[in-house]
Amino acid sequence: MKKRLGLVFDQERCIGCDTCTVACNKEHDPAEGNWIWVETQKVKIKDTPQGVFPNLTMNFLPRTCMHCDNPPCVGACSPEALIKREDGPVVLNGDLCDGCKACMDECPYDAIVFSEETGLVEKCDLCVHRVDEGLDPFCVICCEGQAIHCGDFNDPESNVSKMLSDKAAFHLKLEAGTQPVICYCPPQEKMRF
Amino acid sequence: MTVNDDVRTVRTACPAHCGIDACGILAHVKGDRIVKLEPAEFPNPNDRRICLRGLSSLDVTYHPDRLKYPMKRVGKRGEGKFERISWDEAFDTIVDNFQKIAAKHGWRSIGWAPGGPGAGTTKFGGYLRLASLTQSTRISAWGYGDSGMPCGSRVLFGTHTPFALLTTQLPASSTKGGLVVAWGTNPAESQPLNLMRPVMDAKAKGARLVVVDPRFTVTASKADEYLGLKPGTDAALALGLMDVIFKKNLHDVDCITRYTVGPFLVRKDTGKFLRGIDAGIGEVNDYIVWDDHGNSAVPSKSSEIKAAITGTYTVNGIECNPSFQLLSDLAGEYSLEKTAEITGVGADIIQKFGEAIGTATATTFLTHMGMSRTYHGDISMRAMGTLAAVTGNVNSAFGSGHRPATLNWKPFLHTVPEKPSYSRLGILNLYESVISGNPFQVKAVFFAFLNFLNQCVNSNKIINELFPKLDFIVVADLFMTDTARYADIVLPAASFLEFSDFLPFPYPYVQLQQKVIEPLYECKSDVDIASELGKRFGFEEYFSQGEEGFIDILLDPEKSSMQGITQEKLKEGAMLLDFIDLGGDTIDVTYSTPSGKMEIYAENLYEVGQALPGYLEPYETPLTPAKGKYPLAYVQGHHRFRHHSSFANVDSLLKLNPEPQVDINPIDAKARDIIADDWVTVFNDRGRATLKARVTEGVVPGTVNIYQGWWFEQFKEGGFNALTHDVVNPVQAAVFEPNMHMNDNAVEVVKYKEVQK
Repeated sequence: MKKRLGLVFDQERCIGCDTCTVACNKEHDPAEGNWIWVETQKVKIKDTPQGVFPNLTMNFLPRTCMHCDNPPCVGACSPEALIKREDGPVVLNGDLCDGCKACMDECPYDAIVFSEETGLVEKCDLCVHRVDEGLDPFCVICCEGQAIHCGDFNDPESNVSKMLSDKAAFHLKLEAGTQPVICYCPPQEKMRF
Repeated sequence: MTVNDDVRTVRTACPAHCGIDACGILAHVKGDRIVKLEPAEFPNPNDRRICLRGLSSLDVTYHPDRLKYPMKRVGKRGEGKFERISWDEAFDTIVDNFQKIAAKHGWRSIGWAPGGPGAGTTKFGGYLRLASLTQSTRISAWGYGDSGMPCGSRVLFGTHTPFALLTTQLPASSTKGGLVVAWGTNPAESQPLNLMRPVMDAKAKGARLVVVDPRFTVTASKADEYLGLKPGTDAALALGLMDVIFKKNLHDVDCITRYTVGPFLVRKDTGKFLRGIDAGIGEVNDYIVWDDHGNSAVPSKSSEIKAAITGTYTVNGIECNPSFQLLSDLAGEYSLEKTAEITGVGADIIQKFGEAIGTATATTFLTHMGMSRTYHGDISMRAMGTLAAVTGNVNSAFGSGHRPATLNWKPFLHTVPEKPSYSRLGILNLYESVISGNPFQVKAVFFAFLNFLNQCVNSNKIINELFPKLDFIVVADLFMTDTARYADIVLPAASFLEFSDFLPFPYPYVQLQQKVIEPLYECKSDVDIASELGKRFGFEEYFSQGEEGFIDILLDPEKSSMQGITQEKLKEGAMLLDFIDLGGDTIDVTYSTPSGKMEIYAENLYEVGQALPGYLEPYETPLTPAKGKYPLAYVQGHHRFRHHSSFANVDSLLKLNPEPQVDINPIDAKARDIIADDWVTVFNDRGRATLKARVTEGVVPGTVNIYQGWWFEQFKEGGFNALTHDVVNPVQAAVFEPNMHMNDNAVEVVKYKEVQK
């Protein structure tokens, strides 16, 4: 069976440290913007808890390309710079990109970045240069909290499939209909006194 | 980025200020340029790690603002006007000035102030060796890191740092029914970073995590329960928890009897332990306990006895109590209501937390340089440690395991055994020393990897009173730091990728910080700088070894934990310390306190009223805001974007965290008509800091936080240490060295414009 590669973000283990962002920037040296970034859930400003002191909650939500099974960005890309690889990753061929930004309009996840400097778009490619050599994406090996997991969702025995089978695992904006592959495990329930 | 054939890799390690972490780093080098850093492999894959700062290290090494050659000051101090000179001129000028000053004021007037070396060793050792041979003064940086923790730990445990004792509980509490308490520490963002994974692992295995902190930190966000207490009230909380535990009989009598001075009788008249000579039994210095079996006083070391830990007894006409009784009486003064009133934590949660500690299968207490960075930080440390001790959660029983790293430090600390070595001065004592000549006069200071003016308290006092009294200032660093601006000679130091050092971390590993590239520009390693100076001072034989030679001295194979560890082998990767296999047996390791036990009662501190870790009000932190001119408590959090003031000038991190902010609770902000992103001035009589406001529920009402480490130029005006005081706690000075109290200061905050009128 062909692979269906993707990531699972474990919110319980994510400490919002931004190391994934820095790691990605070091590995890919994007011209502008971040291909992966961490939000603090339900608030605009990072690292801001919700609630009233001391009854507070703060959860982190890493954001990146969802490597959708039905990627609208691919359909919108007339020069066919964006393709959905057979094994899962949605990747961009920068040489073909004409900078029309049609993909950005279609992406429900704001995962595609336009660089004023190059006049082209950029996005997460799941580190296919590493994955193709049997390595994990760079953000995965750098993740402080060990919150990012990469694997094959078509293999029921894989690390990511097992995490997905957790009933609480969820996808972002399923209603957009893009069939996102990347998924999330929510934080553990608090064990109060 | 594919790995080309012309790219080689070098295994090194990050010595940055995480101290006990030291992530392994694999550097990819193309030609003479490092092109990539990645986390290096470890024998246990779970230890392979890096952080956003480690990943940004190339931005430091290749930063355009690196100091590139030695310079001498040509303008006024602080003006920032310097002129390039040769290394020879720099060394000759330093040696000449130091010798002249020493001729006039004695060698003790020359101070060597290497900063916290992080995980490094020889870069520190080089300067210590210089200080030792010249019999000048070593200025110890513990006081700005945090000497409250070592002071408290020394009194209670007899050890400088408490981690080895407290964190050994982590495996036992990493289970359902286990409890992990992170108290005044934020391992998710700051030292000790490498504890966050094990803490989260413990949670995953079913343990409960409780965080005690005035700030709702990232670590707190992971907690099952969060106790947001007022800063500096930790000892009161610990005593209140003990009272809950004692009232419910949840303390561990066996552990108290076996490992603490709890059963030792204390004389009511003198506050000292009853000794054999007082009781007329045993040997002169024996500690005496009350044996419930024989109903008599006996030496503590007697066998087959049941030592009482409570009660009142008269021995040889002297009225006494077991010291645990005194602790219990003290805890009895901290009712739920009173503890809640002092700490701001709800009475019900204190009750439940106490019960949780008392009933957990095992509790791990983690703390690190947060709660103890206060005027009474030693007491906070002792109170929390005592809570751990009386609940059986401190363990000195050594089972099978790796020995701790023991290094051959003597040749650096006391280089010529038959001659005197350096004098020692705590860095907070430096203020009085320079300004008033107490306890002796320091006239020149060499600062190495220490941004003194940025990191130490009371910046304006340093600028206006301390620096002007120094005849000569040298700074060796990577950048023109706030401190370097005031130097007479500035030396360009190598970044960690440009020299070799030995890192005895993270336990149970040791690592080599292997030189990856030659120092850029004219930069030199600290060992090379110290060695050049040493040779000019006439100590060539002690300074001809270079970094590798110094590392070999430290790696003395005579030290048992270092068996088989060599530089050559370390070049390939981290090595494990010597393993001792005791089968299933354990050995009770004696505590290095006067009694050999955990001193929940310290007789030597009776005269100063601190034999027990009784809660003492913070020095300045306003607990009753209405009363003071400066109604807000001020603390300094440590952020993940910097190590102290390092990395504050790195673009990759500034992109994520661009400017200083003061965290203020909405209640306090509203009372001052402050909204998010307003320019505000935080001030007191000592100084001010003008910066943006961040209105957040993440800090306890009545307290503001500025993440420390920002450089002066990054504030609109002032700086985060312009607000802090330099008062010496004499008890800490006597026990070890006095602490700077970054988390024990009072301030007011106003909108910026209001001050301008």
